[in-house]
Amino acid sequence: MAQSSSGASDMAQQGAQWLQGLKETAMSMTQREKKDEDEGYSPFHGLQKSAVLQECRCFNDREINARRCITILTKILWLLSQGDKLTRLETTEVFFGVTKLLQAKDQQLRRLIYLVLKELKPSPEEVIIVVATLTKDMNSKMDLYRANAIRVLGAIIAATDPTLLAQIERHLKQALVDRNCFVAASALVSGIHLMHVNGEVVRRWVNEVQTALQSDNQSVQYHALALLHQIKRQDRLAISKVVASLTRTPLKSALAQCLLIRFAKKVMEEDPSGETRDRALFDYLEASLRHKSDMVIYEAASAICSLTNVTQRELSPAITVLQLFLCSAKPCLRFSAVRTLNKVAMVHPIAVTPCNMDMEGLINDGNRSIATLAITTLLKTGSESGVERLMKQITSFMSEIADEFKIVVVDAIRAMCLKFPQKHRVLMTFLSNVLREEGGFAYKKAIVDTILIVIGKVPEAKEAGLAHLCEFIEDCEFTLLSTQILHLLGMQGPSTQDPAKYIRFIYNRVVLENATVRASAVSALAKFGIQLNYLRPSIILLLQRCLFDNDDEVRDRATFLVALLKGIEGGGVGIGGLNARQLLMEPLGLPLHAIEISCKEYLAKPSDVPFTLANVTVAPEMLQKERKAAATKAATAAAADNPTTARAAPERHVEAEADLLSKLPQFVHLGQRFSSSKRAALSESGTEYEVSCLKHVYSSHLLLQFSVNNTLEDQLLENVTVAVDVSSTPGLAFESELPCSAVPFGQPGDTFCCLRRVEGLPIGSFGCTLKFLVKDVDPAKGMPEEDETGYDDEYHLEELEIAAADFMKRVPVVDFREAWDTIGGGCEVVETFSLSYNSLKQAMDAVIDYLGMQICENTGNPAESARTHTVLLSGVFLGGVQVFAIVNLRTDSAKSVGMRLTVRSAEMGISQFVASSVA
Amino acid sequence: MGLFKRLFGQITPGKNKVRILCIGLDNSGKSTVINWLKPKKAMAQDVVPTVGFSVEEFTKNGLSFTVFDMSGQGRYRNLWEHYYKEVGGIIFCIDSTDHIRMCVAKDELDALLEHEELRSVPILFFANKMDLPQAVGPVQCVQNLELSKITDKPWHIAASNALTGEGIDEGITWLGTQMGRAARAK
Ligand SMILES: Nc1nc2c(ncn2[C@@H]2O[C@H](COP(=O)(O)OP(=O)(O)OP(=O)(O)O)[C@@H](O)[C@H]2O)c(=O)[nH]1
Ligand SMILES: [Mg+2]
Repeated sequence: MAQSSSGASDMAQQGAQWLQGLKETAMSMTQREKKDEDEGYSPFHGLQKSAVLQECRCFNDREINARRCITILTKILWLLSQGDKLTRLETTEVFFGVTKLLQAKDQQLRRLIYLVLKELKPSPEEVIIVVATLTKDMNSKMDLYRANAIRVLGAIIAATDPTLLAQIERHLKQALVDRNCFVAASALVSGIHLMHVNGEVVRRWVNEVQTALQSDNQSVQYHALALLHQIKRQDRLAISKVVASLTRTPLKSALAQCLLIRFAKKVMEEDPSGETRDRALFDYLEASLRHKSDMVIYEAASAICSLTNVTQRELSPAITVLQLFLCSAKPCLRFSAVRTLNKVAMVHPIAVTPCNMDMEGLINDGNRSIATLAITTLLKTGSESGVERLMKQITSFMSEIADEFKIVVVDAIRAMCLKFPQKHRVLMTFLSNVLREEGGFAYKKAIVDTILIVIGKVPEAKEAGLAHLCEFIEDCEFTLLSTQILHLLGMQGPSTQDPAKYIRFIYNRVVLENATVRASAVSALAKFGIQLNYLRPSIILLLQRCLFDNDDEVRDRATFLVALLKGIEGGGVGIGGLNARQLLMEPLGLPLHAIEISCKEYLAKPSDVPFTLANVTVAPEMLQKERKAAATKAATAAAADNPTTARAAPERHVEAEADLLSKLPQFVHLGQRFSSSKRAALSESGTEYEVSCLKHVYSSHLLLQFSVNNTLEDQLLENVTVAVDVSSTPGLAFESELPCSAVPFGQPGDTFCCLRRVEGLPIGSFGCTLKFLVKDVDPAKGMPEEDETGYDDEYHLEELEIAAADFMKRVPVVDFREAWDTIGGGCEVVETFSLSYNSLKQAMDAVIDYLGMQICENTGNPAESARTHTVLLSGVFLGGVQVFAIVNLRTDSAKSVGMRLTVRSAEMGISQFVASSVA
Repeated sequence: MGLFKRLFGQITPGKNKVRILCIGLDNSGKSTVINWLKPKKAMAQDVVPTVGFSVEEFTKNGLSFTVFDMSGQGRYRNLWEHYYKEVGGIIFCIDSTDHIRMCVAKDELDALLEHEELRSVPILFFANKMDLPQAVGPVQCVQNLELSKITDKPWHIAASNALTGEGIDEGITWLGTQMGRAARAK
């Protein structure tokens, strides 16, 4: 919880600094050059911490020398901002020294004292000494004292003891509406910080914050908006109301306007109704494109560009203003515009093409960051013919730009390769050239990853790519990259034209590198040996040389692999019942972590039975972790502009995860999973507890996986189960359940219920009840009190349905007619129905859903006007029986569709069951 | 520098400024003592328990004093020592009616006397609240706190009533002289 709230405040702070940040990034190049010319550009350059601490002694002097103290305090702040760390003891010393200066009246000194007190972060035991003094200053007549004291106190309270807030709440509340804008802004900023530690108190200030929002002052209005958002953060409805009303009455402050644009975008993205875009808010974004401040215009344009599922039409006004920015005299505007367009170009290259002319103008921009982004954008939007020219241009200054921009270039080249596979030669050459140059790990990794992806996608590029990589590992300082490449060589090398040429490169690693790389090289060699008979004897020879390696891992691998290869040489397929090819060439079906734990358990309790992978079990928590990891992976894949893999990944992952279920210790006996249903919601979204269910079918069991999401921030659910009432469903018996130990707010958890099929194929629906122990949680802390015992509660869910389709797996056949004839009419069942649907298409979709079978030979798309249609379906029924069906549909009247269903399978009982399931 | 100035060295800029520390258990009357020393118009009507510390200024006998009035509450006492460095003098307030906590006061005092940085720093004790009937006299305080054992620094004890100011001037004058002497010796 703490995390999400800090995210929101980050956003608020970023708001204030975004322009600054952009400027700095844009200027960093010029700055860097300057620095090179003129080493001592800062008066504090090369300052020694110890020397400054020495100077701090003068804080103890009887007479305070304001000038001198000001310099010293500035130095301390400089050190802290440079990342210098003071030890506990040093902090204490400086802190108490500074408190002695609190007697000073000098305004400038005073301001620095407050700053240092805030930045030093003294320990809670020490900091109490200044609380009273600051409280006094908070009531001073001097605005400077008041404002600063509020900031420091706010920071101290947030960092040490939130309960102190009650003592000063009255003052803070007053300060929120202080006539002096500096004081008011300080109180608002403190409120933003305090929100995380004592939200309850801050929420009571909502009226004052609303008043502050009306302020004429830029900064006050901006901070008031940020705080108001924080206060209402948990209430999606309230937020959207606030945003909607503010978008109607324009805010004076440009900063606040920028913030509002961000909030508006967030509301649009989080809109539960999902699909449709909130028109009013989008119009607001669009209207902001005509604001008089560049900052607001940019913010709006960038918001529109990053909307999910943004359409070409929606983009075009934003692109137009960004295009204008491209020609601005201010480097900062050019930079931000080109950076944003660069991102858009990844997803919507067409939308950005109108800017191509202006982009061309930036290719030679004095600011290399801008030039790089312009070129990479052009690479994404341009035509195939321009590739060579752009590549030449970028090559000319590749050595002048920073690594992070080089990565941008590499990313663009990856996209190019996939778009224009014919250009792979030029691009690969470029990649291999840059691979040879100096660069940090992240940059080199980006290049290697790109080559790997291109090899995977463009078969013609494979040989050249592998050759480049081979050359790279000859002189690669990054172990991680070397091992990754060696692995790839092992997988891909054997299927190339001349596999033997890679052996030398790989074997060189065995001779020259560290143990980790040597071990990878050994494994890679073995992969050649397994696949290529003619190379095997020489590989064995090479591996035998590794048998005396001084590293255990290398030696163990070599020993094992030599034995394996000799086994194959002797005519076997592997060793000790292990198939060599499977062992080395295919991924493990289990998380490594699970195997590790099982190994440890086995070692702790050795038994006579040898350890096998089949006995490895997976804990529910690990399942959860795996899922999270996969989700982030999918998200990064999506971010890496690879839409196809991004979409496919989660699906594949759901399958893999479902397979792991029978590795849960409780469910090992279920055996191989037959199929899994789609996720069915058992409660409406947005209710207190959102529950959905996946049904997994096993040969004689039904495993129900309930995902529970707790949407109440003030509750912790423990020992969560879903009770299912199977009494009215004959043939099903409750067997066991696996509760979810805890479901905190916003972190969904899984609970399982295992049902056994006693007889037949039970279908029907049954009641479900969520049962759990509730503990009250203080949202500020995110945890229940120690002594909280909680109480049992229940929550009724919608009924869960088991249908015939759950026992069917969608499996296509290659030639339906042939299969249909082969199976014959021995076990054929024909049924006719009259279905009340308005259209043929609706009726067809419904029937397919009921049957749960796969559409064959593209028969799933009836013509718009068709009055009759035939669908061919195939599937595999539980137990592995193939089932085929022909569905003839005919529109009878406006409200009814006639259907004839013909089912064939190898078993009469199954044919009948399937045919009757539509009724 | 003229002869006159040399004799009354305190007048030299910087040298007529002194920093002192006022400590003692909570409720012993530290803030009340300091309050009485302040100029009439800066005086507070009622004194509340100090939180942390507060800095006060006043002049007495041509010396301008900056006083750190520390809080005497338990959790602040171990922070006193951070203010020992470079101080000119110490005022230690004793609530002479608080018989029970006299030993606590002694413990705190002993810790203070041990401190290297306070060596030869003059220390003035007020046996405060002398107006109240249960009050014990200064002699009794000297005995209870074993003040006679102090040998490495000048010390002095005065019975005082911080509400009326009785005894305070006498004590501060002693402290001023001691500090003047120390300053001239430097
Ligand atoms: N009768 C009497 N009361 C006194 C005298 N001096 C102080 N008091 C009272 O004693 C109480 C405590 O006085 P403070 O000055 O706040 O004591 P303190 O030592 O500053 O206490 P802390 O700041 O908590 O460490 C107040 O109610 C004063 O009025 C005195 O000489 N005679
Ligand atoms: Mg006090």
